[in-house]
Amino acid sequence: MMESFYDITLNVHRYDPDTDKRWIDTYQVKAGRIMRFVDVLRKVNDEQDATLAWGSSCEHGQCGSCSMKINGKPLLSCELLVENAVHYFDTTTFTIEPLDVAPVIRDLVIDTDKAYGRVDKVKPYIIKPKPLGEKGEEHQISPEELERYVDATRCINCFCCASACISSHHNFLGPNAMLAAIVRVMDPREQEKQSRFDTLYSENGIYRCHSSQACSFVCPKEIDVAHFIALAKNGEIKPA
Amino acid sequence: MRNYLKLDATMRCDVLIIGAGGAALRCAAEILEQKPNANVVALTKVSHPQKSHTSTAQGGLAAVDPKDPLDSTLFHMFDTWKGSDCTADQNVVKKICESAWEQILWLENRGMHFSRDPQGRLSKRTFGGHTRNFGEASVHRAVFEADRTGKGIMDTGWGETLKRGITFINQCLAVELLIKNGACSGCIVFRQKEGTFVKILAKATIFASGGSGQVFQVTTNCRQNTGDGLALVLQSGLPVMDPEAVQFHPTGIVGPGILASETLRSVGGILRNAAFEPFMVNYAPKMKELAPRDLVARAIESEIREGRGVMNPDHNIPHVWIDLRHLPAEVHEKQIPEVSSFFKRYVNLDPKTDLCPVRPSNHYHMGGIPTNEYGEVEDASQNIIEGLYAIGECAAASFHGFNRLGTNSILELITMGKLVADRVVAAIEKGPSHNPESDGKRFIERFSGYLQAGKKDSLGLIRSSLRRIMTENVSVFRTEKGIEEAIQILSELKVRAENTALAGRSLAMNQELVQRWELDNLLAVSMVICQAALDRKESRGAHFRDDYPDRKDEYNHHTLISMIDFGITESGRREVDMSIFKAGGEQHEKFAIIERKY
Ligand SMILES: Cc1cc2nc3c(=O)[nH]c(=O)nc-3n(C[C@H](O)[C@H](O)[C@H](O)COP(=O)(O)OP(=O)(O)OC[C@H]3O[C@@H](n4cnc5c(N)ncnc54)[C@H](O)[C@@H]3O)c2cc1C
Ligand code: SF4
Ligand code: SF4
Repeated sequence: MMESFYDITLNVHRYDPDTDKRWIDTYQVKAGRIMRFVDVLRKVNDEQDATLAWGSSCEHGQCGSCSMKINGKPLLSCELLVENAVHYFDTTTFTIEPLDVAPVIRDLVIDTDKAYGRVDKVKPYIIKPKPLGEKGEEHQISPEELERYVDATRCINCFCCASACISSHHNFLGPNAMLAAIVRVMDPREQEKQSRFDTLYSENGIYRCHSSQACSFVCPKEIDVAHFIALAKNGEIKPA
Repeated sequence: MRNYLKLDATMRCDVLIIGAGGAALRCAAEILEQKPNANVVALTKVSHPQKSHTSTAQGGLAAVDPKDPLDSTLFHMFDTWKGSDCTADQNVVKKICESAWEQILWLENRGMHFSRDPQGRLSKRTFGGHTRNFGEASVHRAVFEADRTGKGIMDTGWGETLKRGITFINQCLAVELLIKNGACSGCIVFRQKEGTFVKILAKATIFASGGSGQVFQVTTNCRQNTGDGLALVLQSGLPVMDPEAVQFHPTGIVGPGILASETLRSVGGILRNAAFEPFMVNYAPKMKELAPRDLVARAIESEIREGRGVMNPDHNIPHVWIDLRHLPAEVHEKQIPEVSSFFKRYVNLDPKTDLCPVRPSNHYHMGGIPTNEYGEVEDASQNIIEGLYAIGECAAASFHGFNRLGTNSILELITMGKLVADRVVAAIEKGPSHNPESDGKRFIERFSGYLQAGKKDSLGLIRSSLRRIMTENVSVFRTEKGIEEAIQILSELKVRAENTALAGRSLAMNQELVQRWELDNLLAVSMVICQAALDRKESRGAHFRDDYPDRKDEYNHHTLISMIDFGITESGRREVDMSIFKAGGEQHEKFAIIERKY
């Protein structure tokens, strides 16, 4: 019979914007085996400390709001079950920190607007759309062509990859921003390619990547981010 | 204690959108395309528009392709009317269904990554309730982006609005509507990050604030869906329409409530109770697991109520099992890989070898802020509130009546978003707004009250009690006694909430303060759901009264309900629009009051 409860210890990094103070609080929680970390944090709020701030929204891995670092690994806390965490990290003590991709607002909540600012820079939309067919019908994009880049469209901007990336976000727009640019280079409906290449090959672009593949390793959507960046480096992202 | 809350700033814009989900973004993009210099501001509770709830919609959106020789817009209109249990408004149904394909092309041309068929055209699939020739056979009517259709809409809408210079204010709550003399001049917002209150004045204010699923303990909805839009409208003395029309999905994964698709049953999954007995045969001897959604949901709920459910110890939620162990490996791998991975990820069970816990999960709110066919908000006497619009799940035009068809919701977002944009552009082109500005002072009293309360309690536990009683007494089964008990408990919880002291009194990113405010919204929305459900002594669509199991003609109307004070409501009615039927065109008799039987 598996354990049905675990006594876990959380060491949570706190920050108070009113006093600009940083500290670590420790919470002991009796947690059910299939509770997710978002459930555990809610339990802490309900039963021990209502002031602990953290973010989430859909709580099933589709929105990327609950990213945080647990024992150093950037991940979605809605996808981490207590039982799996105990086995994966081989401990019942967990250090929880905010992602380090933007300034902290309070506790585990970061200024996501700042992180997104880097994605906005690559223009995550079609700049110059190819006109629809003569009779106004949809474009023709074969499933094979879509298949080349569809994985890159699955990114939810959780910024886990950006947090894991060894290249600093001060001079690199980041793996997810690169993906967003690559998608529109590979998308046959986008007619404006040159300015996209300019962004990709700029000094904040893909040459900042050291091919460590940390991004692919942590991506909760299991997107092989580094693969797409490598394609771009090799000039293999032109539409078919 | 000193009253230290104040208005920190005032801002002006042309259009203020409360929300940045699918409906909001489609509307904003259209306004900016038509009027590039318009100053459009969109608010979101979440950290970024992309985190809005629309991003989780999976299956697809219904739209009849004019190239499809088998399907027709008329069939789509019929399916929607029938599905609504004859309570949708036909003028709205017609508008939405007729403009559907054009909106699909809009998305296609703005970069949505639709799944493709072998010819490279948009791929289509069928869903429950998509039929041709008025129920004769199923048709392929839903376009989709793999299992990420909502995300596709969001990425496209966000990109387009970003491109055209929208202003987003993220983590920002609309907390009070500014209404005076039947006109709206904007709203008061609370900027969470800064902890400041700002008055935003606008020529047009559009509600696109989404659903209210957090009213229930088990829900497929996101954490922010606390029915804020409905609560704000109620606080302004305006009515909400059909709040009792709440849809439940039969199989949500216990405990988070994540949607486990119907496919599980269609490929042969068997529902079992605590004694492992397959129970569907007792409720639908012929159809068994394949019976319609609401019937299956009630069957599961009956098993649980009669003590044949299983209690999940981690989440403290009762459920039944779905057994998929007997299915061939190929079915697991080819037909249900996504749902299987959900069970693995969220409950650590392998459907190939383990029984998996499911129970009915709240899914969609058909009811909402009453609007006409142009998305203009109406008061209890059906007069238009100048300058105020509502679209998306928070609105009731009503496209879905008492039961929504799968794939019709995200269709409503993009079609009504566009329609309302046309209306708003015409309105703001008329020149500056002359809507009288109201002061907006209620928020100070409200938030000061939160910060001044002094009793030790737990907001989280009060919220859990609310969600539990709504799930137990006012979800798939409703009885007079159960609803009355829920109303009693809600009144007690309201008092408890009012006295509960907050642990932190800071304003900046104080989640507890926000949750306190959300709790008031949940209480208000729960209360009108209860009152409306109590008054409707019949069963219709998703509203099922155990004590009145049949639909009755005397209730062929919408509910309008306003709240004078907590628990004191005033009810009215709005006629169902039957213009397609009345126009007497070809096949108009299909749009009469018909039976909802499949
Ligand atoms: C799991 C799941 C799957 C689904 N699948 C489908 C499907 O396949 N097909 C289909 O048709 N439908 C589907 N639906 C339903 C559909 O997704 C929703 O009805 C729809 O996305 C709602 O969109 P919206 O734009 O109205 O609101 P939302 O996307 O919820 O956006 C609401 C916005 O308002 C903001 N907001 C809320 N309150 C406030 C406030 N007080 N102040 C400021 N901002 C506020 C929010 O932050 C958010 O930005 C599904 C739903 C779920 C839960
Ligand atoms: S492969 Fe490149 S982008 Fe990915 S983590 Fe390493 S350095 Fe960063
Ligand atoms: S690539 Fe993966 S890890 Fe990076 S932001 Fe996108 S989903 Fe997250």
